[in-house]
Order: sequence, then C-alpha cells, then structure tokens
Amino acid sequence: MVPEPQTKISEQALVVWRISGAITSLFIWIVGGGLVTLGVLFDWPLWIIVGMIVLVLIYSYAMIFFFPKLRWKRWRYEVREQEIELQRGVFIIKRTLIPMVRVQHVDTQQGPLLRKYQLSTVMISTAATVHEIPALDMEEAEELRQSISRLARVADEDV
Amino acid sequence: MKMSEQKRLHPIAAFINMLKQLKEMIVPILFFIIFGSGGIFYLIAVVVGLALVLLTGILSWYRFTYRVEEGELRIEHGLFVRKKRYIPFERIQSLDVSEGILQRLFGLVKVKVETAGGSRTEDAEAVLTAIHKEEANQIHELIMSMKNADLENETVTEEADDLETNIYKLSFGELLLLASTSGGVGVVISAVIAFFFQFEEIIPYERVYKEVEHFISNGVIFISIVVFLGFLLAWLISVIGTMLKYAHFTLKKVDQDLIITRGLLEKRQITIPLKRIQAIRISENILRQPLGRASVYIESAGGSALNEEGSKVLVLPLIKKEQIAIVLNPFLNEYPVSTQFKKAPIRAISRYLFRGSVLFIPVVFALSYFFNPWGYASVLLLLVAIIWSWFMFKDAGWALEGDFLTLRYRGFVKSTVLMRKEKVQSLTATKSHFQNKKRLATIEAVVKSGHTGSGGRVSDLEAKDVETIYHWYSRDRK
Repeated sequence: MVPEPQTKISEQALVVWRISGAITSLFIWIVGGGLVTLGVLFDWPLWIIVGMIVLVLIYSYAMIFFFPKLRWKRWRYEVREQEIELQRGVFIIKRTLIPMVRVQHVDTQQGPLLRKYQLSTVMISTAATVHEIPALDMEEAEELRQSISRLARVADEDV
Repeated sequence: MKMSEQKRLHPIAAFINMLKQLKEMIVPILFFIIFGSGGIFYLIAVVVGLALVLLTGILSWYRFTYRVEEGELRIEHGLFVRKKRYIPFERIQSLDVSEGILQRLFGLVKVKVETAGGSRTEDAEAVLTAIHKEEANQIHELIMSMKNADLENETVTEEADDLETNIYKLSFGELLLLASTSGGVGVVISAVIAFFFQFEEIIPYERVYKEVEHFISNGVIFISIVVFLGFLLAWLISVIGTMLKYAHFTLKKVDQDLIITRGLLEKRQITIPLKRIQAIRISENILRQPLGRASVYIESAGGSALNEEGSKVLVLPLIKKEQIAIVLNPFLNEYPVSTQFKKAPIRAISRYLFRGSVLFIPVVFALSYFFNPWGYASVLLLLVAIIWSWFMFKDAGWALEGDFLTLRYRGFVKSTVLMRKEKVQSLTATKSHFQNKKRLATIEAVVKSGHTGSGGRVSDLEAKDVETIYHWYSRDRK
C-alpha cells in the first residue's frame, strides 16, 4: 500500500465547513418548515409530515457533523521536491499526483467565511487541470504558494 | 516581393468577409423576409442593409494590413477601433493553410496563424483570409528559417534535415469505407430497420394491430418507411460529406512537423509540430472494430479553444489495427503501440454490469408497467446495456512500457490512449468503499489537449495495478 500523504489541513476548516453546512441546512429548514405548515393546513397524512421532519434532521446532521468531520479526516496533502500529492473524499477516496514540472501557476483564494477564520484556499493549475487545497492557515497557504512557485520555476517551459 | 512592406489581402477577401457577415446575419434576414410586409420602406431597408454590409466589407478589407517586420508578423485592422496585433515568430506554433472554393478560383490560400497564446478566445490566432500562394510560402519559410536559427543556437549538433517523407495516403477504397462507417448510429439504425423489414412477410402486422385494424397498420408501416428513408438520406449526406472532407488525405513528415493535407472542394493543410504532441489516441467505433480497422488521433497542445481541429487531429483516418505500429514507428518511434494489456480482473465484472444497467432498470420497470404489453420490449434495452457493459469490462486495460502509459477503455467508442510520462499533467487514483472491499481501484490520467484536458480513465482495475501505475508516475516515491 502506498503510504498516505502526511500534512493535514487546518483544524479550523472543520469549523468553517460546519458553519457553511449550517447555512445550507437553514434553507432546507425554511423549505421543510413551509411544507410542514402546508401539510398541517391541508391535512396531509401524518407519515408525510413526520417523514419530512426526519429527512430534514438527517440532512442537517450529515451536513453539519458527519460529512465535515469525515472530509477533514481524509484531506491530506504533501508537497515534495518534485511533486504535490493530494488525498480527499468521503466515501470515494481520490489521490492525485501533480509533478512540479507541470505546475503552471498557483493562486490563493479566500471567501468571507474563510477570511474570518484566517484561512485561504490554494489553487494549483497545470496546463490542463486545476487542483485545490481548501482551508489552510493564511500564512501556511502563502508559504505553500511561494514554495510551489519556487520549485515549479525550476521546471522547463515546454508543455 | 518585400515582406516588410505593408500589404492588403487580395480584394476577394472583402467579398468573403461579406458572405461571412451575411451568413452570421441569416436569422434576422430570414425573419425580415418572412415577416416583412413588402412595400417601399421594406425595399429601402433591404437595399440600405445590403449596402451597409457591402461598405463595411470593403472598408474592413481596406483597413486590414499585414507585414513582416523585425521577426514579427504585424497585423493592423479595425473599422472604428484600430487594432494592432504583433505576433513574434517564436510564438507561432503552426500555419494552417486551406483553400476554399473562392480562394481556389483565384489561386489564393487562407492562412491561419496558430499561436500558443494563453488566452482562451479566438484571439489565440490570426487569419489572413486570402493571399497568394507564393506569399504564404514565403511567410512560412521566413518563420521556419527564423525558428531554425533559434534552434541552431541552442543545439549546433542537430542538423535541420529538410527531408520530406510520406507516411500515409488514404486509398479510395479506404475513403469509401471510412465514409460509410462514420455516421455510426445512423447506419446502425437504418440497418436494424432494414433488417426488420425483411420479416414483414413473416410477422403478421395486420393481426398484431387487429384492434385498430388497417389504419394503424398502414400508418406504422408508412411512418417506418419514411423514417427509414430519412435515415438513409442523412447517412448518404454524411457519407458524401466525409468523402469530400477526407479525399486525397495524405500524412507527411517534413522536418520536425507532421503535415496533413486533405479535402476535395476545400483543401486543408494542418501542421503538427512533433514536439507539441501530447498523446496518441486510437479509436475503434463499433462498425470499424469488427473490420479490424481503427482511427488514430494525435492530441496536440496547439490550436485555440474555438478550433477543436487544432488540438485533436485525425492522422490516420482508417487503418488496419496491426498496421498502426508499422506506419507510425519510423516517425513516432518512442511511442510503443502495446499489444500486451493487463485487464481488469474477473471480480470487477459485477461492478461494470451494475454501473451499465442500473439507470435502465427503473426505466424498464416504468415502461413495462405503463405501456402494457409493448413496454415489455424495453427489456431489450436492458439486454443491450448489459452486453455493452460486458464490452466495457472486456476492453478495460493498461500497459506500462518504459516512459509510456497506455490506457484502454470504452465509452461508446473503444479508445486506447498512449501517453508519455512527461506529458501527463496529473494522475489520479480513486478508490470507493465498495471498490476497496474488492481490492479494485480506478486510474485517471490527464494530458493537455488544445486548451483543455483530455486523457483516459479506466475503472475497476486491480488495486495493485493502480498502485504500480501510481508509483511509476511518482517522482519522489521510489
């Protein structure tokens, strides 16, 4: 078995993912609440109403607790001298190798939620693909961006 | 002829531009003609519109000038906004020379200058719509000499061999076969319908439809005939189209470029610099596979986003499979056309069958339930899906040979992709929970093709094999 990449992403990512999970859940709650009200008003069978409430609860649990935890546990990366390795996924685990010689440029990116927690996302572009490492500490992301650019510059120009 | 002089295109370019503009305006024009009320204003509007198109055509031709200066191709154009585009020769990837019917009448050519520009628009290229052939040659030679001079500075030892070698020529018989097997689905459908017509005598259509009697029976047969003729016509048109497009197909190697010329009415020439080759793709569609024929494409880094042809080029339109290696070897000798494939293990077959048929099961149930009894025929659909999945399983495979990875898989078409390690942009191994239980994994390799990615993905290989490929690609984990 090929050993896993070693570096984990920031623990704060978990908080951010939970918050964004909670926000999407909120919408589901609003829609679900509306439907339940309709159900009560128009005397829908009880099982539909109960079913809807259960579904909304399961959804919220999954989006706020279950998936972020598993996703965070799986997310690993490693930047070595000649390549970058990523591992991600919840049920389906994906591992990707990106050789330094193929890296064209590296960007960092930050939404309002990430900024609040001093995090940013690193995007690595090759000539044909884009890969991202989500939610790293800002300094760490910046450092990573610079070290990848430095290592990638050694590579030759030709695609 | 001095190349540094500022020059205009041949005046016919104005006419070609006008036609192009009219073509783009075809929808409003049709709208106008259909809903136009007639009368004097209508006439005036038409005349004014045409005059405007004529005028802009001529003016933009007048404004468009080009010259070669200081190692750059300099183009200036624009009606209201003056635009200048200076393209340094080093940035020019290739010149695509083509001759439309109009150009041919005057002994002219259309030259498309392809650059490796990072921009994803048509700005990645410049087009000289109509210039004299000799001029195109001059520009070509100028660029080549400039580039070779650069090369010589870098490597003195490498002699620029101006050798021209013919690699491949499409014979008429093969052209016919290529054309008749190209419109894949259409052929199959007309063949199937024709097949069923054979049984018309045996299957008592009259009795089958006896509830609704003659009317439907005649109707169905009539509609079937119309549909069949429609397919036949569409197929014939596509055959003729393909024949016109690929007539006189030749593949040559000149210096360090592959050059393709083809076409009967519109002659095209496509240049692929050898070092821009990213991968070789061998495609076998369902009609050609039983004949032992395949098509070979080259995925190249050239071309622009709007010009797909520049990135995935058909180099051997139709060739016997065992001939591919023989024909290509002298020119792309490093690329090994593998015959030894490691396949997906038997225990992967259930996953292939499941993936291929799972979407059809609810459809079949629904059709059978709602359209009794004819809905049961949809079981055939499921059968086709299962057979197809079995083929997908059978065709999945991989091979590693030195610096080359070959992936073989089937979507609709069976594809074999040959990739050089240095040209693979990224490699991904995927393992789901269920795959893990069966010790299976999926591998995906991406190469650059034009401005996007292409490559190959093989599902449910032996997990150990996927690890082998992963290790092979890794530069640090040895």
